[in-house]
Amino acid sequence: MKLKKLLAVTLATVMVAGLAACGGQETGSGSNSDAGTKTEQSSSKTDAKGDKLVVWTLAADLQQFAERYTEKTGVNVETVIIEPADYPTKVQTALMGGEKEPDIIVGEPQMLEDFYTNGFFASLDDLGAKDFDGKIVDYVWKVGQDADGVQRAISYQITPAGIYYRRDIAQSVFGTDDPVEIGKKFADYDTILETAQTLKNAGYRIFASDSEINYFSGDSAWVVDGALNVSDARFEYMDLVISLYQDDLTAYANQWSTPWFQAMSGDVPILTAEIQNYEDDSVNVWDAESFAEATAGLERTTVFAYGLPSWGVLTMRDNVGETSGKWGVCAGPAYGFGGGTYIGISSLSERKDLAWDFIKFCTLNEETADWWIEASEGDTVSLISALDKHKDDENSVYGGEKLYSFWLEQAKGIDYSKVTNYDKFIGDAWGASIGYINTGQATREDALATFYDTVESTYPEITVTR
Amino acid sequence: MVGYKIKKGILYVLLVILAISCLLPFMLMVVNSTRSGAEISTSFTLMPSNHLVENWEIMSGYFNLFRGMLNSLLVAVPATLLGAYFSALTAYGLAMYKFKGNKVIFMAILIFMMIPGQLSLIGFYQLCTKLHLVNSYIPLIIPAIASPGTVFFLRQYILSSLSNSLVEAARIDGAHELYSFHKIVMPIISPALATMGIMGFIGNWNSYLLPMIILNKNEKFTLPVMMATLRASLDMVRNQGATYLAVTISVVPILFVFCFFSKYIISSISAGAVKE
Repeated sequence: MKLKKLLAVTLATVMVAGLAACGGQETGSGSNSDAGTKTEQSSSKTDAKGDKLVVWTLAADLQQFAERYTEKTGVNVETVIIEPADYPTKVQTALMGGEKEPDIIVGEPQMLEDFYTNGFFASLDDLGAKDFDGKIVDYVWKVGQDADGVQRAISYQITPAGIYYRRDIAQSVFGTDDPVEIGKKFADYDTILETAQTLKNAGYRIFASDSEINYFSGDSAWVVDGALNVSDARFEYMDLVISLYQDDLTAYANQWSTPWFQAMSGDVPILTAEIQNYEDDSVNVWDAESFAEATAGLERTTVFAYGLPSWGVLTMRDNVGETSGKWGVCAGPAYGFGGGTYIGISSLSERKDLAWDFIKFCTLNEETADWWIEASEGDTVSLISALDKHKDDENSVYGGEKLYSFWLEQAKGIDYSKVTNYDKFIGDAWGASIGYINTGQATREDALATFYDTVESTYPEITVTR
Repeated sequence: MVGYKIKKGILYVLLVILAISCLLPFMLMVVNSTRSGAEISTSFTLMPSNHLVENWEIMSGYFNLFRGMLNSLLVAVPATLLGAYFSALTAYGLAMYKFKGNKVIFMAILIFMMIPGQLSLIGFYQLCTKLHLVNSYIPLIIPAIASPGTVFFLRQYILSSLSNSLVEAARIDGAHELYSFHKIVMPIISPALATMGIMGFIGNWNSYLLPMIILNKNEKFTLPVMMATLRASLDMVRNQGATYLAVTISVVPILFVFCFFSKYIISSISAGAVKE
């Protein structure tokens, strides 16, 4: 009897749920269009009924832009946020499947080349992007162009990298805290080693981790004319990281771990190389309390500098604690950048003109840029006129430094032609081989051989000369 | 006697260790859902903190959790029930009837078990666009009917636990085939059905890739797709607490289903039904 009931209930639920699923879909879309018409009615500006944009994004930022756009123009914008790691899969499947729904699609620099070659982005030149040449920071404008120089995407932000350093330590060790003077201490890899040694002698450490120079290491292209290009600068970078590590010049923290964050707000214990590689697990670097206990006997030090892109301004602000105001930002050994969201129009969109209006609103509108600087609490925009307007804005966390003019200067130096879509993979492999040498898991020759093998087997189209 | 007690003692200690190591991640998840993102990234503890409300607010700023749960239920419940019922039918047919091509069909099912579904993603999406099924739950529910893994499992279970004589007895008494399947076979294989039901429900509840690809509207997203949007913010550290909270809440239905179904995972009730 019981089972009969169970069966009956089961089958009934299947039917009801099935109906609900189908019904839900209808009511769902019904209420949507209701909501849609309501917004349209309330905003008297809109005349056409089809005034609606669909944005597929991987950065929550764009939702704020969309809300602002609706506020200003009355156009209904539907923002769909998709997790960054899965975003390319989603866009690829949808657009190759002929999906017409998204009008605006976005991409991070490393995804863009694939999107260009697959023709996912509509040409912005056809819509008049050429008229705006020179209004956006140059490297961002270039990143948004495909191999033929056709404008496909534009970003609202710039992400040049800089060195964040402690002004008070600079003052006591080098006698100056001027960003230009301190920048000279980071001018090239040899100088960095010297600076590191000077700081160590004075009782400080130059960096918390050994990965701080990474953002500046892309000074030469990884692939030139289809051949792997490991320039001398790459080897110098490798030597630098190995020296930093083996000569005890860092605090042996891992980037983004507890001590790395703690070092932003004050002194931290100097860990050992074994702790950093997790060979010695007596210290738990993820737990503040047991970390304090286990490292009570260790010598402590204060970290001098971090190397992060311009969005690091916000990361530092949230973690510096009492050292707020004692920081400064200066140029690194080379120009570099990290991340950024690029907005473009789906080639299958049926509302390209409206979508272009949205892109102009997000990237080329000075009023929006002003609003975004305020709303994001210090993100760096890509519109040159807005950066000019804010060039005298002082950031109190960084000792009143005028950061917007600084980032604009840094961005001018970025040479985008050196970026290839192999960068992420080859860069990671290079980093891994440096790690192997550091920890003594492999000799330099073995690590390099592994690196070449990895690149060769992953990208057979690249010629590898050892 | 003493030896027995020592053995028992050792066993208990081992089991306690096992239980703790199984429960600890859950504990951490629950505790972390009460802590702020900064606390989570800088330290590790089992003491709850007081950021529960804050996490809830952050999470609510991104999506409506209950909407996501309802959506997930609308997909997972029908998909699980349909999957279990039709797999049982298929498995019964393959195990109990002798017909030409039985072996071939079974081999085909085995082979399809080994093909990952992700391979046909773009084709599947194209099919859905042509059928106007993008943005609907039908492409997530209907394909669940064909689940080779469940058929395989149930077939093996029926072969080992269901005696042909039981069905023959029903036939002699004048039962239709479908009637005897519903009245006799289903109850006997209910432990296996419950097992596959739980598996199926967990699988459908946590299913991420297909809903992410097929659904294009925020309000239609299932829970895992919604939760993933928490990672789209630049402020990922701050969202960690909210992510833990969302995950904690999303586990509740799975626990509920498990408690409900595990009642039916009992040793085969047909034991001794047939005298050999």
